[in-house]
Amino acid sequence: MVPGARQHVGNWPGKTVEKKEGSFSHKGVPLKLVDLPGTYSLTAAAEDELVSRNFIIEEKPDLVVDVVDASNLERNLYLTMLLLELDTNVLLVLNMTDLAKEKGYKINIDNLSQKLGIPIIATVATKGKGIAELKDAILKAAQTRITKKNALNYDKQIESLIDYLVAILTKDKNLPAKYPLRWLAIKLLEKDEQALAVAKTSAVSRELLEVVA
Amino acid sequence: MRLSELKPGQEATVTKIENTTTARRRIMDMGLVKGSKVKVICRAPLGDPLEIEIRDYKLSLRKKDAQNILVTEAE
Repeated sequence: MVPGARQHVGNWPGKTVEKKEGSFSHKGVPLKLVDLPGTYSLTAAAEDELVSRNFIIEEKPDLVVDVVDASNLERNLYLTMLLLELDTNVLLVLNMTDLAKEKGYKINIDNLSQKLGIPIIATVATKGKGIAELKDAILKAAQTRITKKNALNYDKQIESLIDYLVAILTKDKNLPAKYPLRWLAIKLLEKDEQALAVAKTSAVSRELLEVVA
Repeated sequence: MRLSELKPGQEATVTKIENTTTARRRIMDMGLVKGSKVKVICRAPLGDPLEIEIRDYKLSLRKKDAQNILVTEAE
């Protein structure tokens, strides 16, 4: 994703766990891009996933551009859901749409965009298709922060637990500025290591651990 | 039966994931959850690793991880 960069792609320990940065300007607006480790998930247990996740939580970027292989949406939209749950501004890029077409997939982009509540751009990066539209969309999406409804609603029992945890988390004055509280509540229910560590040092740790431990 | 016991070409449905927390989370993140349909593509010599097809993509699993995934074979 870094403009003008030619980089090797690989997936092994040590590969792209660091971030790469680049910048360009579009329609006179300077934009800074940070390429995060490519992942399928955002757990605390994997180093690359934690790098991406912490960047989004700590740096609060104007926009997260989620580039996915359009020929395997079922697997890749999982990360999109996790990003939406992180309460970040997301632009979904369906890349390799040529391959998806070859596989016989017809993707109803308007419908998907409406369901997810986020803008979607189709590209074929190797052929430069959709890149101009992508730049326009990045600029537009980065400047407009849409307030979304919950990306995913769980069943009643889990939702009421989430609400209960959010109510406790709200009492710690330090937390709301740092973490999306619904996200933190969900991670606590998942017994996510990082979320548990946050809970332990929180002013409301006793109340939280009564529910989660 | 266990996912590790399936032969290449056999299809099955996941019924239970008995792996420890981290591995379990990782496996579920890759889309392998209760009710998922899987098909064994091939096995390396000695059965490790094992390549399966799931949700229209191919996934390699360690034998020790596949041993903790319970499945029922498709009819």
